[in-house]
Amino acid sequence: MDNLQVTPEANSEDGSLCARCHSPLEQGDLRCAICGEVAPAKERATLTTVVTKILRCTGCGAAIGYDIKHQAPACSFCGGVVEEESVSDPMEQTEMFLPFTVTEQQAQRALKQWLANQGWSRPSDLASTATFAGLKPLWWVGWVFHAEAQVSWAADSDAGSRRSSWAPHSGQTTLQFNRVLVSASRGLTNQEANAITPGMNLQTAQSGPGGARADAIIEQFDVQRSQARREVIAAIERLSAESVQRTEIPGRKFRNVAVSLVLRGLHTQRYALPAYVIAYRYKEQLYRVVICGQDAKLVIGKAPRSLMKTVVLPIVIVIVIALIFLLFSAF
Amino acid sequence: MSTSDQANLNQGRQPPGGPQRELGEEDALSIACQSCGAELVVASNIRSTVCPYCASPSIVERPPTPNRPDPTFVVGFVRDHQQATNAVKEWITSRHMFVRSDFKRASPELTRGVYLPAYLYSAISDSQYSAEIGENYTETETYTTTDSNGKSVTKTRTVTKTEYRSLQGRHEGYLIDIVVSASRGVANDALGAIEPFDLRAMRRYEAGMIAGWIAEEPSRTVDECMRLSHDEAMQIIQRKLQGFMPGDSHRNLRHRTNLHDEMVHLILLPIWSFALRYADDQPPLKILVNGQTGRVNGEVPISYGKIALAVAAVLLVVLILFLLFGGAAGLAN
Repeated sequence: MDNLQVTPEANSEDGSLCARCHSPLEQGDLRCAICGEVAPAKERATLTTVVTKILRCTGCGAAIGYDIKHQAPACSFCGGVVEEESVSDPMEQTEMFLPFTVTEQQAQRALKQWLANQGWSRPSDLASTATFAGLKPLWWVGWVFHAEAQVSWAADSDAGSRRSSWAPHSGQTTLQFNRVLVSASRGLTNQEANAITPGMNLQTAQSGPGGARADAIIEQFDVQRSQARREVIAAIERLSAESVQRTEIPGRKFRNVAVSLVLRGLHTQRYALPAYVIAYRYKEQLYRVVICGQDAKLVIGKAPRSLMKTVVLPIVIVIVIALIFLLFSAF
Repeated sequence: MSTSDQANLNQGRQPPGGPQRELGEEDALSIACQSCGAELVVASNIRSTVCPYCASPSIVERPPTPNRPDPTFVVGFVRDHQQATNAVKEWITSRHMFVRSDFKRASPELTRGVYLPAYLYSAISDSQYSAEIGENYTETETYTTTDSNGKSVTKTRTVTKTEYRSLQGRHEGYLIDIVVSASRGVANDALGAIEPFDLRAMRRYEAGMIAGWIAEEPSRTVDECMRLSHDEAMQIIQRKLQGFMPGDSHRNLRHRTNLHDEMVHLILLPIWSFALRYADDQPPLKILVNGQTGRVNGEVPISYGKIALAVAAVLLVVLILFLLFGGAAGLAN
């Protein structure tokens, strides 16, 4: 995911940043979702003397109090409700769209090429016999974020092991996450999304959908903001664990990799990303393939396996091994 | 109707307000009801009241002091009086068998629904830890035993052993949403027993959110609450570090933790407080209900008579069994 290109700088809707971790605060945030620091509020004149207040309904003038049924201050005479500022937790909304730059014809050609290159274990007639069953352009959704993370880690690895196969290790490192994309799609699997993500060019982002026919599917984010933040933070923790395993922990085998993060400057944007979902039929069975909408070389999907080849291959291997064994034991 | 001041220890902002007096030393305030003109006396630890003559709610806003900052947040009541009473009744009947019978028969009397002052604490923890990490390994060992024919035989078995390796390291992370009671009337443990509150539903403090309800002012100092917050923070860090340790097991986990970037903010939490008088010769028990979730907790009086009876019954059963089987064994011999 490191080859994503330029991301426009993420800004909070009201432009304010958390004073502690410098992550953007969005409209309706009372606290920072990362570190819990309180969002700045409108300044109020500091009292110097005791003030007694009675709150009155602007409709009928009666005194109002907090009403459990309305979960807000309400007038018990006329039913008027006073709206108070509360934590808003709206559904996530797409901010930017990447346009389709691969045409439907190019996507179909990419499918044919992909079928022809599926390797020895696939049926020999796959490319010639498979029939095209449908193509649907789809904008799937994902979060693109950048952040700095102070990562404390601890893990077991085989480096330095003695009687046990494992030895404990720990350390700290700082990781920069630069324009990392995390799938929020319910339509594509994580494997499919990860396979086509490298083809996305964020420089082409625009405010609306483009480059596809009018009936293209536009997936919606189906999580609220609070859940979205949890998913992004969980993704950062997972990526951090993978990163320290690759670059920090000595050894070749690992287990119990634990990380603790102090995140700073987490900027997140919500993108809709183009893909073609193609169905093809082979011997009455339907299979699905996903092609990146900005790079037709990135294709992922399912293809049938040749039963004959997958059965014959292991038998041949066993026979060859047996022959070699016999040959060596004869001499 | 907006309040924006906050106790921010990190930035060291201190509200003005002239010479400070100890909490609880202030005088009660006499105010006139702005609806009917009746004279109302408001205790020094109370922020809001209701006129007993015309039921008009009044909010008393005092100049903030370091130990009595303006509230930053409030969590509104969700459970009403009836729901809270039902929750308490259900809770009483579900107590264990050794509570006093008159307690189970008692009817809860509502004292009040109150907005309890508490501090919402957050910080960054930085721990230097050391521990001995247990890494398991297996060994095959031979041993001698006797077979069914009484002959001595040598066998092998696989045993799991643990090799301990020392580990030192550093662990940093955010600590958020630690809530401690700022009221001397409710112990921090008692508040903890009816937590959690869903803080996603909290709102920025506005006088309208407490109008018509009783809201307490803090009666613990910020320093006391910071100590309580640190105690809770240390328990959380201990649990975090235990989960952070690699290996199959660990022992002698020690840590030296520094808490920095600390922030506390005053929050008002909805509590239903019940008094339960179960015996004329006993003081009433206090039962608290989380006004948002309906979670109940309180003291439970134990019946020592029931415990003595249970012990006697167990001893009696043991004695009967002993006499039955001991006697049978004696007859067999």
